[in-house]
Amino acid sequence: MSRLVAEIPAPTGAEPVRAGRRRRGRQERLAYLILLPALGTVFVIVTIPFVIAVFQSISSDDGTLIGLRNYGRALSNPLLYEALRATGIYALIVLPAEILLGLAFALLVHRTVRRPGLRATLYVLAVLPLVVPPVAVGVVARLIYAPGYGVLNYLLQSAGITHSEIQWLGVPILAMGSVATVDIWQWTPFVYLVLFAGLQTVPRESVEAAQVDGATWWTQFIYIELHYLWPLFLLILFFRTADVLRVFDHVFILTGGGPGTTTQLLSLYMYRLEFKYFDAGQAAALAVVVLVSISVLYALVTRALPLERA
Amino acid sequence: MQRITRREFVKRTAVTSAAFTSLPAILAACGTSTGPSNKPSKLVIAAVKGNEDAPLKKVAPKYKSETGITMEIVEFPYDQLFEKLVTTFQANGSSYDLCMMDDPWMPKFGTMGALQPLDSNFGFTRDSDIPTVVYDVGTWPPPHGPVPPSEKGKTQHLYGITIVGNVEMFMYRKDKSDAPKSWDDVLTNAAKYNAANFYGYVIRGKATNPVSSDSLPILWSFGGNIFDDNWKVQLDTPASIDAVTFLTRSLKKYAEPGAENTDAADRSRLMAIGQAYQSTVWPGEITDIVEDPSVSQVKGKVAYIPIPQGKSGKGLGMMGNWLLGIPKGSKNGSAAADFIKWMLKTDNMRNYVANGGIPIRKSILTDASLTAANPYFPALAQSFDAVPNWRPRTDQWNAVETSYGTAMNAAVAGQMSPQAAMQKAAGEIRTLMKNANYPS
Repeated sequence: MSRLVAEIPAPTGAEPVRAGRRRRGRQERLAYLILLPALGTVFVIVTIPFVIAVFQSISSDDGTLIGLRNYGRALSNPLLYEALRATGIYALIVLPAEILLGLAFALLVHRTVRRPGLRATLYVLAVLPLVVPPVAVGVVARLIYAPGYGVLNYLLQSAGITHSEIQWLGVPILAMGSVATVDIWQWTPFVYLVLFAGLQTVPRESVEAAQVDGATWWTQFIYIELHYLWPLFLLILFFRTADVLRVFDHVFILTGGGPGTTTQLLSLYMYRLEFKYFDAGQAAALAVVVLVSISVLYALVTRALPLERA
Repeated sequence: MQRITRREFVKRTAVTSAAFTSLPAILAACGTSTGPSNKPSKLVIAAVKGNEDAPLKKVAPKYKSETGITMEIVEFPYDQLFEKLVTTFQANGSSYDLCMMDDPWMPKFGTMGALQPLDSNFGFTRDSDIPTVVYDVGTWPPPHGPVPPSEKGKTQHLYGITIVGNVEMFMYRKDKSDAPKSWDDVLTNAAKYNAANFYGYVIRGKATNPVSSDSLPILWSFGGNIFDDNWKVQLDTPASIDAVTFLTRSLKKYAEPGAENTDAADRSRLMAIGQAYQSTVWPGEITDIVEDPSVSQVKGKVAYIPIPQGKSGKGLGMMGNWLLGIPKGSKNGSAAADFIKWMLKTDNMRNYVANGGIPIRKSILTDASLTAANPYFPALAQSFDAVPNWRPRTDQWNAVETSYGTAMNAAVAGQMSPQAAMQKAAGEIRTLMKNANYPS
């Protein structure tokens, strides 16, 4: 916009000023018109629900304003801390696993695969898990882990590795591991794609110079490539953390939060508050707390990122 | 070119967006709405997807051929149907002329005032061929048992009529033994017939509703309960803990692996493929799986009986009726009531049974000519005669069931002891009921 302003010749009289205003008015109207569908959509599906959620969080069922009482109830509910604990454990499993595996795949492909056709094929294969609906992933995972007819137990027993069924979804530690593997399968490719793209930005001259100086595989990664990947790690960490807070579908299908509350993650807990307990106030308060937490995290990440600022 | 400030930009954008998004509502408000008519061209039913609404779908074309009214059946999975109905009722929406309701939902809908009374508005009266408990379960406030504090003193009305006469029963392999008379017999048989790849008992132990439904008949038959008549929580009493210990420890020894993840379909499958000896059962599982020759290897080898006796000296089955009700927002109440009356006619109910429906008329349940095709009819008739228990008539039931069913699931999984699980559930439910102004 500033460049556009600079290119407009300075007005020399009343008529050119009016003409300039008219032109500017037309341009503004066009800009608003183009923005209108996007802004309207955001307003309807984001702004209105958010305002309603904030209102619900400070009001009782009959609409009476009750201040922060719902927040107090939400934060003093012991079930919240069970859900936070489960979410924390889940995050501690999936985030390092996805980042390390994604990085390993990215480095492997970057350094060993040179043929463009093969790279493109790997790219398509990596995109596939990302576009499968989480519900479908959950259903397939249930066929793998389910007691009685699960494919995994069948294969393990057929191969003679185990002699009785392993209760993948019935033993707390295995249940958490099982739901985590589904997440790892679906989202490791995302980390791979982002980091692989990051590796393409590393200047070839720097790498070649390092190699001439005798840099090993490891030192090349630590002193050159990691420098370029660092902002992407932060970005991945932010996106994946935000995703972990809203994981729902495959956990709901696989374990329903069980056994007990072992895999009742935060999103599942909020769903239960809203649709089982019909405690809209407490659920809305929790939703606002989560949203604010993610916003704070976002602010921290963007500050840490070496982005160019206008 | 004059720049506009950020504040001005945001202001203009907000105004424009508001105008844009309000447009459809304004246009809708300007349009003409059709008023209520005596005979609509169609009635919309919100129904649960599964064996419960399948017979309804099959008889709907007959209703159209007789009356000219199309029955549009909108199906939802169990959980989603409840959520959809609650949100529709909260908005007093007119999307549905009729709704299918699981009987434990009646307190929520009754308390919300979400349904039209069938007796005072549409002249429904009790029919002696239909068990009294069927009318009672559709009546709000409840005719017996504890009444929620907010509902005391309100006039009772009939709000729902059962179209799926579900009562939880018991099934066992009659080719291997006689019928168990008590839960002790059940345990003895479980131990006796348990073998490799053949489970002495099947526990439907999946969290929340499944394990809650599976365990309540045992809890009641052992003298335990969730609430007493004054809404005091009873889950941590010795009788309740004894019942939970019996299911999650004694019977669990002979249960299928992964019981904590087993739902109704898994249970029926185990019975149908000949890998299980006995379990509780809902009628829908019988016609759909266990007695369906296309999928079952045990057709004719399984018998159905009312719930065996527990330590209380009683065997208490559980109501799981599906009712039809008319939402308050429906603009076709009269036509919807006519459909319910049509469904209740004896001939139409026979046709409904022929299409897999579960009847409520005693004359049909005791008709010997129908027993061969429906071997559970005598047990269902006996269960109705014995007056099965219903789940506590509180608008907080869904939350109570979630707490109880989660703790039960932990006990089935061996993650918590029966005592610890029931104490946890009892504590949560006490807090919940206290917050809802119950004298718990």
